[in-house]
Amino acid sequence: MIELKNIEKYYATKGIKNYVLRHVTTTIKQGEFVSIMGPSGAGKSTLLNILGMLEEPTYGVYEFLGEDVTSLNERKRIELYRNHIGFVFQAYHLIDEMTVYENIEAPLLYKKVGSSERASRIANLLDRFNIVAKKDLFPNQLSGGQQQLVGIARALAAQPSIILADEPTGNLQSAQAEEIMQLFQQLNKEDGITIIQVTHSEKNATYGNRILHLADGVVKDDVKI
Amino acid sequence: MFKLNLKIAIRNLWKNKGFTLINIGGLAIGIASCMLLLLYVSYEFGFDKQFKNYNTTYVAYTDMKANGKIHSWAWTPGLLAPELKAKYPGVVNASRSSYPFEQLISYNDKKIKNKGLFADPSILKILNYEFLSGNVTTPLNNINSVVLTQTLSKKLFGSENPIGKTLKLDNEDLLKVEAVIADLPANSSIKFDYIMPWKLNEKRQKWIKEQGWGSNFCLTLVQLRNSILLDEVNTSVRNIYKIHDNKLDNNELFLHPLSKWHLYNEFDNGKSIGGKIGQLRIFFMLAICILLIACVNFMNLSTARSEKRAKEVGVRKAIGSTRKSIMFQFILESTLLSLIGTVIAFILVEISLPYFNSILNIDLIIEYDNWRYWLVLLSLVTFTGLLAGSYPAFYLSSFEPVKVLKGFSIKTGSAISVRRVLVVFQFVFASCLIVCTAVIFQQLTYIKNKPIGYSQGNLIQMAAMGNLRQTNKIELLKNQLLKSGAAANVSLLSMNIDEGGNNTSSINWPGKNPNDKVLFNQRGIGYDFVSTIGAKMIEGREFKMEFPGDSNKVLINEAAVKIMGLKNPVGTVIGYDGYKCTIIGVMKDFVAESPYQKVAPMIFNRAYHDDGGVILVRLNEAQNISTSLAQIDALVKKINPDYPVDRKFVSDSFEEKFESEKLLGTISNWFGGFAIFISCLGLLGLALFMAEQRKKEISIRKVLGASTSNILTLLNKDFIKLVVIANLIAFPLAYITINKWLSAFEYRISISALPFVLALMVSLIIAILTVTIQSIKVAKANAVDALKYE
Repeated sequence: MIELKNIEKYYATKGIKNYVLRHVTTTIKQGEFVSIMGPSGAGKSTLLNILGMLEEPTYGVYEFLGEDVTSLNERKRIELYRNHIGFVFQAYHLIDEMTVYENIEAPLLYKKVGSSERASRIANLLDRFNIVAKKDLFPNQLSGGQQQLVGIARALAAQPSIILADEPTGNLQSAQAEEIMQLFQQLNKEDGITIIQVTHSEKNATYGNRILHLADGVVKDDVKI
Repeated sequence: MFKLNLKIAIRNLWKNKGFTLINIGGLAIGIASCMLLLLYVSYEFGFDKQFKNYNTTYVAYTDMKANGKIHSWAWTPGLLAPELKAKYPGVVNASRSSYPFEQLISYNDKKIKNKGLFADPSILKILNYEFLSGNVTTPLNNINSVVLTQTLSKKLFGSENPIGKTLKLDNEDLLKVEAVIADLPANSSIKFDYIMPWKLNEKRQKWIKEQGWGSNFCLTLVQLRNSILLDEVNTSVRNIYKIHDNKLDNNELFLHPLSKWHLYNEFDNGKSIGGKIGQLRIFFMLAICILLIACVNFMNLSTARSEKRAKEVGVRKAIGSTRKSIMFQFILESTLLSLIGTVIAFILVEISLPYFNSILNIDLIIEYDNWRYWLVLLSLVTFTGLLAGSYPAFYLSSFEPVKVLKGFSIKTGSAISVRRVLVVFQFVFASCLIVCTAVIFQQLTYIKNKPIGYSQGNLIQMAAMGNLRQTNKIELLKNQLLKSGAAANVSLLSMNIDEGGNNTSSINWPGKNPNDKVLFNQRGIGYDFVSTIGAKMIEGREFKMEFPGDSNKVLINEAAVKIMGLKNPVGTVIGYDGYKCTIIGVMKDFVAESPYQKVAPMIFNRAYHDDGGVILVRLNEAQNISTSLAQIDALVKKINPDYPVDRKFVSDSFEEKFESEKLLGTISNWFGGFAIFISCLGLLGLALFMAEQRKKEISIRKVLGASTSNILTLLNKDFIKLVVIANLIAFPLAYITINKWLSAFEYRISISALPFVLALMVSLIIAILTVTIQSIKVAKANAVDALKYE
């Protein structure tokens, strides 16, 4: 599903190249649950952002579903992205001015999904995550765990084939974190959604079935569980 | 999508109430100012354009060479209109008319003084006044007929049907009401309350028929077959005076479009040099600039909020939004704001219109039933929304999601400099306005305090009409007034003392170059004129009761002495209209026409009472003014019972000469004030933002031991720099502008440093106040609160 060949990323400051990623080559197949681990500054988030098409690699080839992403124009890329990728953030990044319902609805609007279809999908998600009662609340009226649930629901609304999560439990208490990880596992197993997460926690990594260890921008280790 | 965007826009505005208030408030004031000014400009532009044929209608102007200059005015001989109509095929209609004048008109015992006009019947073909009732086709054919406006008809007849009723003009001529027309629009140059046939004028004033081509006393309106013919007709009529009277080789005729009559009313050496249009252009520019300032304000405030919105943009992009849809959202938000702003602006305009009307002395209304108005309004909203929203939209939508979401490390450097430029722009404009307003004020004060050569206070003038045209009645009144103690002095003048016009060039003196034409203002004056108005004699004496037989004696003023080059003016014999006259006195110059210009040479002869004219009364200062006025009213009424007493203080009429400059002064005061206010709102927004952005820096400084005042200085320094830069840019601009304005006045102040210092001080004080009030909160906040979030 995802093919990375020799991905490099550096930032040039005053002529000095600061490498964030070096020679990252890997393949991620449909249905995998990958955890990217490593110390701070190892390039985990950058790798995730490149996978999520939010950043472009300096060199290298990135193929998503057989298409070379780096050569696509913006409109095509957004198209690809809308249909296949869902993002979950550490800080949830819900839009404060929107209610829970509207937050989940937003990606569907961008994808131009019809209104009845929208309504039924959102209803399903609200139901599934037990947040029906909260649908008219604003993000700042929810607890962190609940906000992350909404974040995941939003990511799932567009029915992506892959979810990218950047330390999804980083801001949560352990009980809530566990709940979220179980949810991810369930999504992976039952719905067959590919999940790539960045995490610090060994425990969270065990929910997945593959771990990429990154250090100083280089893949040190690729472990299958 | 749209609905959601709208909802979010509203929620966003609601959440930041303070910002929204500043934003909408500034915008509303800006739009309201712009609307008011545009209303006024369109009112002035609409002058004389209500008539169907305004495009092909022209006003005949006479160019007259005198004093080495060409003077142009819209006075023509009575013979002109029939000649044009008969002999020039391009002319469809030509009508002559008197200038409107106040005359008593009465129905039974209802007596009203209103503006009347004598005109050829064809004027009704040229200017299609709206007939409400009566004879529509030939209303002015009968010599004793009259057409009334609706208001006058209501005043005279109430609810009665006026058609066929008989009115009396000046207690002499009977007039049959032939028709009633709708009231004239306020913005038409020819204003009257009733219109009578020219033939009646000829009957009443016998001299009219005897006048040749050299006597210019009526207004001639000409309608051409089409406007293309203008140049052709102008060429062929140019020498019409010379053709008929070869002595008039100094006079030429030309046609000036009716549509330009009002706005392009000034001529210099026979060339149109604009006139009121100049002022209108200033107002138009002012309108646009205020709107721009308000938009700039809006941009500033919106982008200042960008940090808070950055996250939203990032998230939206991360969940699949295109840049376009984000831009659309911001534009939508700004259009929504401008819509709300416009609605508020409407309310403001409606509230302020009566006041605006009263200072401008006009009658502006919002025409809600006019689609053009709505169109302009709609485009104003869209324009403002787009303009104001465009920069925030482009700027905010350009955020890269990763950078924003990673933590707020957006580079705001470029945005700040753009905002700085915008703030500088606002303040350039504001301080330009302060300088200009101050100079206008100085110039007005200067002109008003400039000695006019006589004393206006307690001087009354009233038209001598009816019985007061008789010499013995005037003498009677004079004696009674003096005896009652109401008046200290009474005299006569052939016209209002503050009125221009009535001049002659047929004056010869020893040593005059026969080719020179020098224009003299001529006035008839009564006994004790000089002492009544409080002017001064330089030499000789004035006309006095004690010296009878002054019929061939004249007085001249200083300016006349100078232009004649006489060493011993008193006793010199000069030729005046073919008669030999002796100069018996020289009067110190006094201002009769424009206080902005040098006094023209003047010649005074004895007034003949049956010409009518004006009675001048100097009130007795020892007596209470209201008592004196009551006495005067009673005495005048007794002698002249058929006429309402029509007296005016000279100082009031003189004040009217400043109207145009006062108008400019008032408008620039008000709108300058608004511009400054809006600029301050912009600064407030920027200060708010800066303080917010530098929270961390401020906190660290405080931890290191900075005091509140240290921090205030730090924050203010930036803004002071901006304001100073703005002033430096503004000064040359303001200097050029105001110098150009001043150069139109013969008497003018020299531009001093004061207005510039004033502008700098005012803008600095305002800026410092705004910034300090805003940042004091941040400076006093607990440092830990800000640092905790890092």
